[in-house]
Amino acid sequence: MAIRLLLFRGLSTYSRSSMGYLKEKVIYDMVSDTATKPTDEMFEIMKQASREDDVYHEDDSVVALERYVSELTGHEDGLFCASGTMTNQLCLRAHLTQPPHSVLLDARSHVYIHECGGLAYHSQANVTPVHAKNGIYMTAEEVANNIVGEDIHNSPTRVISIENTLNGLIMPIDEIAQISALARSRGIKMHVDGARLWNASQETGVSLKEYGQHFDSMSLCLSKGIGAPIGSILVGSRAFVAKCRHLRKLLGGGWRQAGSLAAVAHWCIENIMPSMPHTHQQAKRLAMSLEAFGCSLVYPCMTNQIWLDTTATGVSTKLLAEALAKHGIKISAGNGCTSRIVLHHQITDEAIDQFIATATALFKEYEGSKPLAITGSFNITAYATPSQ
Amino acid sequence: MSILASLRPATRSLAHIRAFSSTPVHKLYIQSNLQNDQTHPNLASPMDPNAKVYDFRSDTVTAPTDEMFDIMKSASRGDDVFQEDYNVNDLEHFVSSITGHEAGMFCASGTMSNQLGLRTHLLQPPHSVLCDHRSHVFLWEAGGISFHSQANVSPVYAHNGVHITAEEVINNIVEEDLHTAPTKVVSLENTLNGMIFPIEEIKRISDHARARGIKMHLDGARLWNAHQETGVPLSEYGRYFDSMSLCLSKGVGAPIGSILVGDAKFIRKSRHFRKLFGGGWRQAGGMAKVAKHCIENIVPTMPQTHKIARRLANELQAMGITLTFPQMTNMVFINTASAGVTINDILPALLRRNIKIGGNGTTSRLVLHHQINDEAADILLDTLKEVIAHKKSLGARPISGSEIKQDAVKAYTQ
Repeated sequence: MAIRLLLFRGLSTYSRSSMGYLKEKVIYDMVSDTATKPTDEMFEIMKQASREDDVYHEDDSVVALERYVSELTGHEDGLFCASGTMTNQLCLRAHLTQPPHSVLLDARSHVYIHECGGLAYHSQANVTPVHAKNGIYMTAEEVANNIVGEDIHNSPTRVISIENTLNGLIMPIDEIAQISALARSRGIKMHVDGARLWNASQETGVSLKEYGQHFDSMSLCLSKGIGAPIGSILVGSRAFVAKCRHLRKLLGGGWRQAGSLAAVAHWCIENIMPSMPHTHQQAKRLAMSLEAFGCSLVYPCMTNQIWLDTTATGVSTKLLAEALAKHGIKISAGNGCTSRIVLHHQITDEAIDQFIATATALFKEYEGSKPLAITGSFNITAYATPSQ
Repeated sequence: MSILASLRPATRSLAHIRAFSSTPVHKLYIQSNLQNDQTHPNLASPMDPNAKVYDFRSDTVTAPTDEMFDIMKSASRGDDVFQEDYNVNDLEHFVSSITGHEAGMFCASGTMSNQLGLRTHLLQPPHSVLCDHRSHVFLWEAGGISFHSQANVSPVYAHNGVHITAEEVINNIVEEDLHTAPTKVVSLENTLNGMIFPIEEIKRISDHARARGIKMHLDGARLWNAHQETGVPLSEYGRYFDSMSLCLSKGVGAPIGSILVGDAKFIRKSRHFRKLFGGGWRQAGGMAKVAKHCIENIVPTMPQTHKIARRLANELQAMGITLTFPQMTNMVFINTASAGVTINDILPALLRRNIKIGGNGTTSRLVLHHQINDEAADILLDTLKEVIAHKKSLGARPISGSEIKQDAVKAYTQ
């Protein structure tokens, strides 16, 4: 498998050339939770699903998934799509009826930075990127101060798009409630990029339904921590979802016999989501041990992500990545000083132990080194990994 | 919904026998295409859950088999956004090599691969696409050409009823001028409404377009059918196009997908657009491996499908039904007016015998695929014979234009 990976390297446009060192077989992929792989059992589940045409909306398994997730979130209907980028952009497009218009969001938002300029492209919308002063989440006050009003020069705010979790960080439900109340008092729609909302819910105990009441639309990913091979789902009112379905066809998301993918996603929500608290515990354990070596965290570790900064230790993240690769653990080398490590249900406790052991040896070897000179730019507002 | 629930056990146990389930047609998909409307409000007759179902509405209904899921299980499980999946890369290599192109990109649908192909060619407005006025990219992709590429469209009328000619293309190319949106891409469709675009004409159009710096794109959703019927190699067709979109979820039989081919630089760019469109999917290896399996195993069955279609066409005509387009591959476009019946007359009878068709007024498009066999054709023909004879005995005569309209209105107010 590793040899085949190398053979096809030439085709890679997103050159993860920082991982050229990776010739060993990868067992634990911590670059992203999108790496979660389907299991043999999942293909058996896929075989049992219905096999109708989803463009005709005739597939029972797809309808069942859409119904299930809309019930979980307290919304009327749902739409199963090929990716989170698609569900996010569809929701925003459906809310944004006519320019001039804009979307207000956290400056680090995926819908703004990592969706290929979709807001401009699909909706011809301007963006108001708000810098969260507390470094964790955008506050209701910051939102209020940045809402764009009606004026001949303006593109007024029509949607506030929240991301939860954002960079693994949780936005408190109280803050969400305040922002939502503000938005609704001004006729502004509320959307959540909830690609990892499952993680937030599992960590805080706040139900998806409770989050759901504050939003007019939600996008929840199925192919990340949830562990399904493909897909994402959006929810909203019946009329809204019907509109999204039409737009989905426009974007080329009208797929045919998607029942198997829906059935497996349904199963994953029921069976893999409950494992998230354990994943979060693993992340915290790992984060703490790395901090003990002198590393710092760019962001506090709240769920499944560790934003590691090794500058003070004098050990570059590239060295760390190479050392881990020898044990089949894959992390991103980032920009040499910082790296985002993402855990998921296919990372075992043993892998965490191995990580810590490897890091222990490495940091010991470089004990007393001078801090790294920060060469590459680390844009704290937009961490430059290719994708979620 | 309760009826669906009661049918579930039956469909599950028979899933290994039949290729697709017999979901009752209580809520058939609504398409406002006057050519092939698939809403049928007069559904008094539930289908027999024990009989095999034959769906003639489209070749998109081809359902995956149990074997295909086993193939999916054996596939690689890398992340395709990072192009790290072996089976996806393998499929892309395979299709690009058999079509004579440098690279390929596996997408979720034909709409996506078509629109990505066009979007990648169309650099900067003002610009336009020239195509047959019946083209899928123009009519059935939700205005994608305008939306994604801000491009105008020149829909050309094909006087011979089958395909646009080089002369028609030449006469409709939009030149550079202050007022115009010049033609930047000529988009052909093969097959279009099941009809084959002759290779000689394609060559003439391509030579002309290329001489004028205009790109050539092919909506080859059903190019496989054209190739299987004419014997012209895919790579021969491929020579005349800068990009081609070939569907995998239609006659090829895979559950999901379509593939875009072109040169390496073009595909690299289109991959970026694919992400923008939300088409960046993750562990798609299973889908890719099954698609390749289908190309190798199901495409060769197409001549047989075309043979059944031909028989159907001949025998329907013998009953007094007329064909709106000549039958060349897997589609039979019928007009039942001449036989004195409407689609609403034949539909319930067909449904009772577990055959689904689309249609509106007196016209219908019958689409055959590898999950339609001779038995299906026989049932269809027998049923139609019965209905026509029955209506004739009630004094029905061939239907004229105004009567058709009335009947359609009556049907939808019932």
